Amino acid sequence: MKQALLLFLSADRLHAQLMAGSETVLQRDFTDTPEGRESFASVLQSTKCPAYLLTDMIEEDFRHEIVPHLMGSSRDALFQRKFDQFYRGTPFRKATLLQRQKTGRRDDDMLFSALTNPGLILPWLNIMQAQQTPLAGIYSVPQISEPLVKDLASKHLLLISWEKFSGLRQTYFSDHRLQISRLTPVHAELTFQDAVVNELGRTYQYLKSLSLLPSGQTLDVRILCNTDDRNELQNKLPDDRDVLYDFADINEVGKKLKLKYRFTDSDASQIFLHQLATSRPNTNYASSEHTRYYTLWQLRRALFWTSGALLVASIFWAFTTVWQSGVNSSAANELTAQAQRMSQQARHITQSFPVTDTPAADMKSSVSVMRKLDQYGSAPQTILDPISAVLDHFTQIGINELDWHESAAEPVAANTRADVPAQVILLKGDMQGFGDDFRAALSYLDRFRLDLEKRGYQITVLTKPLDVSPTGSIVNQNETGDNKLAFSFQLVWRPAT
Amino acid sequence: MKFSNTDFQLMRWSLAAIGVSVLISGAILYSSIKYADYTLKNRRIAQSQMNNARNSLAMARQDRDNLSDYSKEYDKLEANEIVGDDHRLDWMEGLEKLRRQNLVIDFRYNIAPQKVYAPQPALDSGNFVIHYSEMKLQFDLLHEGQLLDFFSALNRKIKGHYQLDGCKLQRVATDGESGPAAGKNIKAECSGGWITLKNRNARS
Repeated sequence: MKQALLLFLSADRLHAQLMAGSETVLQRDFTDTPEGRESFASVLQSTKCPAYLLTDMIEEDFRHEIVPHLMGSSRDALFQRKFDQFYRGTPFRKATLLQRQKTGRRDDDMLFSALTNPGLILPWLNIMQAQQTPLAGIYSVPQISEPLVKDLASKHLLLISWEKFSGLRQTYFSDHRLQISRLTPVHAELTFQDAVVNELGRTYQYLKSLSLLPSGQTLDVRILCNTDDRNELQNKLPDDRDVLYDFADINEVGKKLKLKYRFTDSDASQIFLHQLATSRPNTNYASSEHTRYYTLWQLRRALFWTSGALLVASIFWAFTTVWQSGVNSSAANELTAQAQRMSQQARHITQSFPVTDTPAADMKSSVSVMRKLDQYGSAPQTILDPISAVLDHFTQIGINELDWHESAAEPVAANTRADVPAQVILLKGDMQGFGDDFRAALSYLDRFRLDLEKRGYQITVLTKPLDVSPTGSIVNQNETGDNKLAFSFQLVWRPAT
Repeated sequence: MKFSNTDFQLMRWSLAAIGVSVLISGAILYSSIKYADYTLKNRRIAQSQMNNARNSLAMARQDRDNLSDYSKEYDKLEANEIVGDDHRLDWMEGLEKLRRQNLVIDFRYNIAPQKVYAPQPALDSGNFVIHYSEMKLQFDLLHEGQLLDFFSALNRKIKGHYQLDGCKLQRVATDGESGPAAGKNIKAECSGGWITLKNRNARS
């Protein structure tokens, strides 16, 4: 459970309460005396949780300033000059941006404030520093009051609360932005109701004098009190058309804040302490040196969390990796089993082979080679038979020479196989019985050529008995004494696909 | 904010915690990565074994198929003295037997030294070297049919594989008084070679 030490500092005493979540574990009050401080130091010795110091003092000053809108080091330098100008004597000072103006240079509307009597805070702060207490910040009651009036739609609003050990607090908001705050000590002989009645009038006049409340504007006054005080106040407060009262029941406010505390009077200290514990403002009066041990505490905590996160992440990673490895491991077992089964099958098959010196692959390749080579060779019958069959129909043609050989270089005709060599056949012959009828002889030879082509040969005519083309030369056959008509063909044949 | 020695005193347990956490996390991660590597390596080895076993099985099945498809034909090749060395004496004896059968009027042969054969188009000869012993034949023929009968007998009666590459047949001149001697009408010259397959792994 998250622990926090809440400290409420008034002018003459310090109230401390140790919270565990929303439960108050320990409550002590320390007077501003050596004994009180010693007692506080002893409490801090056993308490090392973060501490939140809430101050409620008369000596808190507010200054409203409009400054140029700056960034970075220029802004810091400007603020430092303003702090030196307004609050040179105190280290507890801060600047709060109220709003950025919407016209002109769009300057920043700033509220500079400070706890102007450091002597009231430093003794307690020194004890905390000495005890290395992680102080998260130094806050003031006006600074954390804003959430208590957020729900009230009002342009000019005065929040009145009573803190038993400090007095009557009146905080003025314009458009829900803190402007000024006053603390009036309430003496023993003065009741809360009387103090409200007395001080409200003065504050109203004060706001008027500062022109914070323009004339004709209504001032809404929210008073934080219990039912009894409310009844009394309703009777005592004057009816004024410029002032509207809104009584906030302190028990109801506590319930809304889920505060487990029974209010017996109108003391709002617990409300503010709880408000501080649950929603801290972004800025406070403490410097980085004041919150040094808190920074170290945060760093320690971050390191512990990082250590834990690192361990958890590594365990998670390792678990994922081991789980993935388990998948690999079972896959490896499965693969090994499959490999064994396959090896066994392979052994079973090879054991059934006949005993031979020649591997089966060699048998296959030798047989394949010989089958292929059979297609490369040319049996004389396959060469001579088709030609003889054609010649039977051409009795006037005689063959004198027939020469065949294989050639892989011959072009491959369509629908014939390219993976075997072509058979190239050279035919030389002559024709008889045509006399001088060259036309009939040439026609006869052409029919012979066509018949050979029908049997799948590609034929190139090398020589004809008579070249009647325009480029040929013609010699009188009778004069040469040669009455045979010689010709030669080249036949190329490949098996069909 | 600057750190001082006292700050480190305050931080010592958290620093120790992060240190221990880093060490333990490192050890856990290292161990798990090592284990993952180990199982992955085992899986790869097993996968490799499986692939090898699959290949062995496929090869065994292929060998079984090859044996059933090719063993008889291979046995014939062996019986026909095609696989192995040249049997030139057998060829000579076979040719002389053919001569005595008078299938042709006359023939002469010439067997050249053996050489490695490079068929065109090229073919994959596997584990074998194809040897080729060129043999040229010259014939005196009465007619073309004798040539057919001769090669038919050569293929049937002589062990080995003679690959005939080509022949040249020429009619002998018959004009005038110098007619063909002893009925010789055709001269033929044929070229080819005896093919043998030599296993590369076989001892010479």
